[in-house]
Amino acid sequence: MNRNQLDFERFIGRYSIGRDSNPHNITGSPHFLRVKVPGGIITVDQLIQVAELSHRYGKGKAEITSRQSIQIHWIESEDAPTIFGELEQIGFTTDMCGQGFSGARHGDVRNIVSCPASGLVKDEVHDGSELLNRLTEFFVGNQDFLDMPKKLKFSISGCGVDCTRAWINDVAFVAVRKDGETGYTLLVGGSSGASQPGPRMARQTGIFIQLDDAFDVAVAAAEIHRDYSIRESKAKARLKYLIENWGVERFVRKVEEKLGTEFDSYHGLIFREGDHGGVQPQIQDGLSWVNVPLVDGRLTSVKMTRIGEFSNEYGSGELRLTPTQNIIIPNVADIDGLTEQLTPHFNIDGPRLNWTSIACSSDFCGKSQEPHSKHVLKNTLDYLAQNHNWETLDEAGIKIHVSGCKNNCCPSNTAEIGLRGRQLKENDEIRQVYDIILGGSLGTTPSFGRLVKENVDPDENKYRISSLIDSYLSKREPGQSFGDFCNDRGIDELAAFLIVKEIKGCQN
Amino acid sequence: MPELKKNENGNYSIDVTGLACPYPQLYAINALNQVPQGGELAVLLDNPPSVRDIPPALERKGFNVIDVSKVEGSMWMITVQA
Repeated sequence: MNRNQLDFERFIGRYSIGRDSNPHNITGSPHFLRVKVPGGIITVDQLIQVAELSHRYGKGKAEITSRQSIQIHWIESEDAPTIFGELEQIGFTTDMCGQGFSGARHGDVRNIVSCPASGLVKDEVHDGSELLNRLTEFFVGNQDFLDMPKKLKFSISGCGVDCTRAWINDVAFVAVRKDGETGYTLLVGGSSGASQPGPRMARQTGIFIQLDDAFDVAVAAAEIHRDYSIRESKAKARLKYLIENWGVERFVRKVEEKLGTEFDSYHGLIFREGDHGGVQPQIQDGLSWVNVPLVDGRLTSVKMTRIGEFSNEYGSGELRLTPTQNIIIPNVADIDGLTEQLTPHFNIDGPRLNWTSIACSSDFCGKSQEPHSKHVLKNTLDYLAQNHNWETLDEAGIKIHVSGCKNNCCPSNTAEIGLRGRQLKENDEIRQVYDIILGGSLGTTPSFGRLVKENVDPDENKYRISSLIDSYLSKREPGQSFGDFCNDRGIDELAAFLIVKEIKGCQN
Repeated sequence: MPELKKNENGNYSIDVTGLACPYPQLYAINALNQVPQGGELAVLLDNPPSVRDIPPALERKGFNVIDVSKVEGSMWMITVQA
């Protein structure tokens, strides 16, 4: 039958919605919209327009994801074309949400994660924004890369700090210097998830990439994933499985073959310690950025608009969404003035944990039950902030990652303290419990944490963690970090520290 | 792009395989608006979330969902009366 072009067809390949309603989802949200914000860089105008979308279609709520996207729930399929049209006007696209298909197919390039302080950091190695924008423009809607065996996650780190969780991305560009020259080195095959061959830290390729070659290397990596990753099994379709089987050398040779070049080697420093939390001075004289900790990444449309207005008044009308689910207001001269404005609306004072800890959206995906991960995270952080010295917590270098289920969408195995939910069946009743994973780390010492205690009652998490921190403070070696303290001890010893005791006037 | 086809038996079909939400549902509704009242439309699809979403969405719009069945492998067929 003859027909004219339908109005929604132009969005195919650039816009999609994901499904929220699995068995345990009690929010009533049928679908979510994951708005790609490349590198988390967003203008106030764009944020306010997204806030308006959330007001109209998402019950006035939205959340910053750990890939610097904005997720809006309660989206109805029939509203989608209108929303897509508005997003197109704003200048954003969405993830393609192909994971619902059975089989290894319809994988796309996810929002490219980049340092949220690009161009602002004092001792930045290289501003990766140009590579970020070029890759985003190339991959969005590119039919050649919409049917990869599974999703592909890129990260670009230019500041010298692992603020993008490079070690658990499929393909991670890390800006480095070699003999006075700036370029990138490459990490490949990272993933914290359970799909085969299990969680893997990305492997160092040991190559030095000229800045001008980085784009071609990224495209070659995506082509290799598309053409050589396994399509026979969804569980084996991530790039990490290919890297596990090929090894890094074969992967690098294939990239070299595609580019017709041979890379120099790089075996120097990958990352240094640091983060972008709190208030930090910028490279631009007299200006600082203010990182507003949202703790669970969630915002209302009112708060989104408000923070935009603050950026207009005290900053430059620009904002940065961080991989730690926070918002940075850059280019601020009057720190005190902005802080005063922010204080009634945002909890901007607290231990570093509040900037570095994250949790997944388990209340929407339907794979877990209450209490959900964001609630557990907030509850735990509040308790720790009330019962421990903030400076001590900061020195310990603790962050907490909470995932509602074994899918580990929030990488619970990469934080010093990880909580991973599961549903425990007891006496014909199913209840949500959390496993405690300790000693995980990214950055300068990448390693997955170890499962120390299973099936912990969610209400007890905060007490057990607080007790562990007490043990750390009383038994640590001088200068020993919390992560090292955990990794120097056996599982049984650590488990013995995770006790519930009546402490500090908070007996529940 | 998927096209509405009229089959030899007088019924209609549309193949929306390879498409993720919301497109299978949008195509199905667009097709049903072209099928004469009382006519049958078969929607062939392979996206499990759409298989779950489409029947209740079409029922809400007043269409009669006759059957939802797996035809082979990862393919489903939703049969609807306009």
